[in-house]
Amino acid sequence: MRRRQTPGTVAALVGLLTLLVFVFVGCCSCWGALDKLLPSGRATPPTARGQATLRLAYSPEKEPLISELVVGFNALGLTTPDGQPMIVEAVRLEPDLMIQGALSGDFQAMTPDSSIWLDQLDRAWQEQTGSESPLVGQTERYAISPIVIAMWADVAQDMGYPAQPVGWLDLLARAQSDSNFGWSHPSTTTASGLLATLAEFYAGAGKTRGLTEEDVQRQATLDYVAAIEKTVRHYGEGEWALVQRLLSEGRGDLDAFVCQEQLVIYYNRQAGSSAGPALVAVYPKEGSLWEDHPLALLETPDLTANQRLVFGRFVEYLQSPETQTRVLAHGYRPTDLSIPLSGPDSPFTSDLGVDPAQPQTALQVPAPAVVQVVQDVWWYTKRHTNVYLVVDTSGSMEGEKLEGAKEALRIFVEQIKGDMERVGLIEFASDVYDVVEMDELGRNRQALMEGIDGLWAGGDTALLDGIKVAYDRLQERGDTERINAIVVMTDGLENSSSISLYELIAEVDVGNSRGVPVIIFCIAYGDDADMNTLRQIAEASGGDVRRGDPETIRQLYKILSTYF
Amino acid sequence: MTMDRTRLIFFVIIGVAVLVVVCGVGISVLPRITGSLGPSPTPNPAEETLEVRVVCALPVEPWVTEAAKQFNAEGHTLEGHPIHVEIIPMDGLAAMGRYDREEFGTEDNPYPTAWIPDSRYLVELVNATYKDLRGRDVFLTDGEYRARPIAVSLFAWGIYASREEVLRQKYGEIDWRAIHDAATAKGGWPELGGEPEWGYFKLVVPNPNKNVGGLAAMVAAAGEYHDKNVIGVEDVTDPAFQEWLGELMGAVTDFSSLGAYSVENLALFGYSMGDGGQLLESDLLVNMQGIQTRWADPLVIVYPKYVTWFDFPFTVWMGPETTAQEKNAALEFEKYLLSPEVQQQAVKRGLRPANPDVPLDGPDSLFVKWQSQGAMVIVPRSTAMRSPDRDVLLALLRWFDLNVAQR
Repeated sequence: MRRRQTPGTVAALVGLLTLLVFVFVGCCSCWGALDKLLPSGRATPPTARGQATLRLAYSPEKEPLISELVVGFNALGLTTPDGQPMIVEAVRLEPDLMIQGALSGDFQAMTPDSSIWLDQLDRAWQEQTGSESPLVGQTERYAISPIVIAMWADVAQDMGYPAQPVGWLDLLARAQSDSNFGWSHPSTTTASGLLATLAEFYAGAGKTRGLTEEDVQRQATLDYVAAIEKTVRHYGEGEWALVQRLLSEGRGDLDAFVCQEQLVIYYNRQAGSSAGPALVAVYPKEGSLWEDHPLALLETPDLTANQRLVFGRFVEYLQSPETQTRVLAHGYRPTDLSIPLSGPDSPFTSDLGVDPAQPQTALQVPAPAVVQVVQDVWWYTKRHTNVYLVVDTSGSMEGEKLEGAKEALRIFVEQIKGDMERVGLIEFASDVYDVVEMDELGRNRQALMEGIDGLWAGGDTALLDGIKVAYDRLQERGDTERINAIVVMTDGLENSSSISLYELIAEVDVGNSRGVPVIIFCIAYGDDADMNTLRQIAEASGGDVRRGDPETIRQLYKILSTYF
Repeated sequence: MTMDRTRLIFFVIIGVAVLVVVCGVGISVLPRITGSLGPSPTPNPAEETLEVRVVCALPVEPWVTEAAKQFNAEGHTLEGHPIHVEIIPMDGLAAMGRYDREEFGTEDNPYPTAWIPDSRYLVELVNATYKDLRGRDVFLTDGEYRARPIAVSLFAWGIYASREEVLRQKYGEIDWRAIHDAATAKGGWPELGGEPEWGYFKLVVPNPNKNVGGLAAMVAAAGEYHDKNVIGVEDVTDPAFQEWLGELMGAVTDFSSLGAYSVENLALFGYSMGDGGQLLESDLLVNMQGIQTRWADPLVIVYPKYVTWFDFPFTVWMGPETTAQEKNAALEFEKYLLSPEVQQQAVKRGLRPANPDVPLDGPDSLFVKWQSQGAMVIVPRSTAMRSPDRDVLLALLRWFDLNVAQR
């Protein structure tokens, strides 16, 4: 027989449960309060050490070295005291993007090309947070390389090198006196580009040390630098990409460029000429600077004990004799001074175009504030640009493709910081349409953004007509002071133009030799783009073709923006 | 009967619940309470270890770190507790700033058990700050826990031999006045009698905001400028001296991030970045071999008239943030550092031993090895620069920030 519960019993049980809930909640509260009030125990629980993957940002010129060293470190199979594998995860970034990423806490360590950026990072960190404590923590070195003027051997010989020392002034004088002399340097967002620019400002101010903000901003200095910058063929995404391009496409019209010494060794090895070095490192007689490749720990608020530990072990690994020998093998000067540069396996030989006893002297590094002014002012003194963005909006671009391209175009416009650069936008489908007339970005930046937003897909592909319209406009403008360029993107085959490929190339040949030289950069967007046609157009103008897809199109436009 | 049974169940449940909660809270809280009052009834072996955290000046850090590794490996104990020593490398000025701003004492950054700054005067400066904050010294100057030097070194000129020869021919003696004149020569090295490709004379001075050696160099320059070994605020704020010092600092190639480890830079970047400077003798000696391996030109050491000494005192933190046992464990490590075997290791790293029983001219002595390059076991004809007071240091730093760092 089932026992029947009385109302009193039920009430008692309900009361009991309520009491237990109160006791439980009360205890939890007390527990929490006590936990905060009492000193924590000395033994740290394993989970408190946090994750053991150290994200490391590195500058692009170190790609082969860092890739090899990170793989080597991860293969050691090291573990933290709480049993997690020690992992270094490397991410490639240009120094300016590295600073932005560091401020956003995207990684815990960085190894840019120069210590100059660490100073700038700490200045930006203090401005952003108001903190007196720097973001840049423990900093170590493992490889260094001086910045040099890389010249083809015959060009260097023609300038009297090595019997006669060659300097920045000689280079600049040659570029001004000889219109066929082609030279370039990266933008001031890399150490080598910054050095080249500093050297110009020093020369303009008539100094080799003690450069001040007043010197930099003096009109005579600005005029001098602007005149020199007019001799630059075009800028580029950095020394590493330039060397890769030279290796794949040959010498082209470039006689000299600025890069770190290691890349001269790298190029000569890859080119593998048996008749002496193709490239020669010229150590400027007024002085050079060094890419010192610092490895810095970032003291971000969420840096874990394990990540700090991984950083320490990675430093030990980089500075170990075995790794330092590999650093030398890559053409860097190792920081371990017991390793001679003149050893039997050393790449520091005249056969590879370098001299380990150089450089003899260095330019003075100005204070960070002066460096910042140089970077800012450079945008006004650099060779300015007239660039047309020519965009395929045919029916095949509809959907994800066009959306990706629109975002990439917006990035392109955003990346060009100088308001004096002129940009125009042309779209082509069955016909050609002027979306935004070419003008200085200070006046039409907003119109360009709106024009890009308004692009829509439909119709055929009048690729050649689109390029012709942009080309004719640039010829009509006849502006020889500026870099004149077209960045054209298409995803398909030409099927609607009134002009043939043969006619267009003939026009470019004639126009570039008798009129204004216009460089055409082509983007083959997706697998269906007519690579052959684009290559012929690019080659006729001394430009370049790049292949892109919806994944890479943003990065591609971003890279191309550095050319201007 | 039914009511009795229900009541019984009620009380059993209440009893069990209370017991569980009390036990739970007790287990969590008791060890922490007992941990701060005395030994735990069930000791955890890991908690018995006495942790000694030593903030250490950069010039002696490699030697002290190596000694700490040996010390830890040898399994030293105090009253049955194993001692574990952790070394935290930090420039003396940076550490002083952290003490002054009370940045130690957080969960991530607990108070160090001991501090080895570059010089005794940094200890006195921190004591002065804490006298205001806590009304007493936090580092003792006498008694068992007093600051004791563990090694000493001095500032000497380190100059590339080819450049030193030219300067000596031009000026006779190498001193701050000669260096100033070389630094301000408008025609650079050719005007001084050197090679055109050497460019201008390039002076190496560490950034005083990052390396206390830079401050020591400025104090030494002030001493020679005024020809005295005690420097006051009026000396460093003298407009004529400031103009002279500004001209001198104009010859420094780089005060950016490269400035923290000056002799290492001199070795790594060679004569391209610096022809020479007044730098710590131990740093110079340690890098002599590397310079000869990397660069064709060797380095020469020249001892100045007014000598600035760094004595690297081992100082135990006397605040309540560390326990008496931890303080005593730190003393054990200090004794270890002063032992003849470990002091001998210091000599191998170019440091002068604090233990008078340890010879400076033993078989592995860098002082003997580099005698041909000017190194001396006994420093002759020198007058020691007296430690400047806080106001002098602050005045120099302020001047540097306004006139050099922002140039």
